[in-house]
Amino acid sequence: MTATLQRESRSRTRVWSVFALPGIGWLIGFFLISVYAVMAVAFGSADPFLKTAIPAWNPLEWDFTTMSDVLDEVFTGYLRKVFVRTFAFVGLALVGCIAIGYPVAYYAARKAGRRKGLLLAALVLPFWISYLMRMLAWTNLLQPDGLVNQFIGWFGLPDDRTWLDGEWHTVVIGLIYGYVPFFILPLYSTLERIDGRFIEAGRDLGASSFQTFLRVTLPLSVPGLMAASVVTILPMFGDYYTNSYLTSGSPKTEMVGNQVEYYLRIVGQPQRGASLVLVLMAMLFVLMVYYMVTTIRQQKAADR
Amino acid sequence: MSASRRDFLARSTQLGVLLGAGVPLLQACGGDDKKTSSGKDPIADGLSPEKGPLRIINYADYVNLEVIADFEAEYGVKVEISTIDTDTEATTKLASGAIKADVHHSMAGTSIGNLIAGGLIQPLNRSYIPNFANVISTFNDPWYDPGARYSVPYTFFGTGIGFRTDRIDRALVDEQGWDTIWNATDFKGEVSVLDDEREAFTMAMLRRGVTDINTTDQAIIDQALADVSELIDLVNVKVNIEAYKDIPEGTTTVAQTWSADLIAGAAGYLPEGVSDEVLGFWHPPAGEYVVTNDSMGVLAAAESPVLAHLYLNYLLDNEVAEKNFSWVGYLPAIAKLDADYVIAAGYVPEHLRNCVPTADEISKALFLKPLGAEGDAKYEDAWARFTAGG
Repeated sequence: MTATLQRESRSRTRVWSVFALPGIGWLIGFFLISVYAVMAVAFGSADPFLKTAIPAWNPLEWDFTTMSDVLDEVFTGYLRKVFVRTFAFVGLALVGCIAIGYPVAYYAARKAGRRKGLLLAALVLPFWISYLMRMLAWTNLLQPDGLVNQFIGWFGLPDDRTWLDGEWHTVVIGLIYGYVPFFILPLYSTLERIDGRFIEAGRDLGASSFQTFLRVTLPLSVPGLMAASVVTILPMFGDYYTNSYLTSGSPKTEMVGNQVEYYLRIVGQPQRGASLVLVLMAMLFVLMVYYMVTTIRQQKAADR
Repeated sequence: MSASRRDFLARSTQLGVLLGAGVPLLQACGGDDKKTSSGKDPIADGLSPEKGPLRIINYADYVNLEVIADFEAEYGVKVEISTIDTDTEATTKLASGAIKADVHHSMAGTSIGNLIAGGLIQPLNRSYIPNFANVISTFNDPWYDPGARYSVPYTFFGTGIGFRTDRIDRALVDEQGWDTIWNATDFKGEVSVLDDEREAFTMAMLRRGVTDINTTDQAIIDQALADVSELIDLVNVKVNIEAYKDIPEGTTTVAQTWSADLIAGAAGYLPEGVSDEVLGFWHPPAGEYVVTNDSMGVLAAAESPVLAHLYLNYLLDNEVAEKNFSWVGYLPAIAKLDADYVIAAGYVPEHLRNCVPTADEISKALFLKPLGAEGDAKYEDAWARFTAGG
């Protein structure tokens, strides 16, 4: 009897695992093969006249000269500045996303009541307008005689600030603005799922509402925070258009994405562009591993 | 030395032409049965045009859509335009087959040799293009395409300084020349240079009196990099190709830019109530003046090559060229549309007369030539350093 049940459940597991196939197919097609293609380009060559990539599909033919040049520049040369700047911009933007996104997600998930639907709709609303349109709108708002300067002028602050000629904070603000909705949504879903009885228990046991938040809600929302951070910082690391639009191409705010764009799209040195992509990926991979290890650990703790 | 360098480059371009005629280079692109145009001849005389559609590859807003509509009506065909952002993007997409087209509307001079060598464009049959007679004679035998066998010129323009006459004295710009950019410390954040490694570094070289602008001497390039990088702290330089609107709108005061940008700026980008008198242009004297032109060509893989020839001919018609110019703002290389004509017709204000390179200036002009993958890479890598923050 038990044996039959076990066999049945095993075959059922097999049926369910079929559901993973599209995902696995997607992963192989659009991740593994793509990454391999990037490697083949990075370690390949380029057509001398048309400057198009000639990928080296056979790993035995891989040529690592460009990659070693790039690595030299990243660790000791001019690219170090670009990588440090990129990490700083993304780090600051992440802090901004948490500062703005957490309270909003918290309110929407736990306090909004009947207004919840409306609030969620409002959060999705910016996606109805293309990202580039929104960035172009910012360039208008941030002009020397634009609305932003007029607005801060009302508070007696100097209203002749320049925003668009290579200011790092403009880029950070742009990144926060562009990505904060992506941050709020996953966080919202985690916060909403927190069992209210935990919070009640905290309060019953004498904790103040702030203490309850700190010791119950916040720890329980860590998985959501992590997921939201991953979802926002990964695209931010590759972002180049926010920067191009908001600084008129100032050399002071160049990010890694801009260098990749230059080598791949503007001039034909595909090996160099692809090598930069791989270096950035390797760095992000370290962050991803950290994320996965913590999530697995948390899962285990929860199962216990 | 500089003369021999230039000779060498001219010869290497010609070599490219020969290669295009004999050696199929396209296996190198990874494809096996690509449209190899090795030994491709021009199309025969007297063929009737295909039914279309005519597929064009071009930058956005770089042709008057009314002209396109007129062509469609005249020949009873549909025209489809694919837009590209950069010259490299056009080459890459045409080479990979990502874009299929009949007409390349705007080939850079630096690319034409490569497009020929790569077998991407076909030689033209001039019998379909009688309007070639309208072209400024200096373009009959351009450096990038000896004998103009593969291309007809589209637009041309020179590189100089665009500035606001209400903020900076015209006489001062004339006196300082290229130093104006380095001395514009009163206009921090309102100074820009062209987002193009060759153009920007050439400016720095000319400022130091180096006229061999196609040099691949690393020391000269490094000096140019150092000079241009100074601009980051001196004037908080911006790097873009948007002076055509930024100078009229006033967010840029001094810019290294193309002459055509001032013409376009005067025509369409001045805020209400601002006179075109605020726009000024300076360029170096003939002999140090870099003149660039874009060209049109027919792709080797064209499915409507006859129609494509007719389109090239159409754009070289005096009246069509004028109509196109009136909207695009970039001067066509048409002899009739000289400075006197375009000023009298009201397209260009008199005080921007120097935005129209004269025949003399074109014949003495410096040209940015392709330097081969290695030579180009020297400029590109230096540029990546500059845009990274110097």
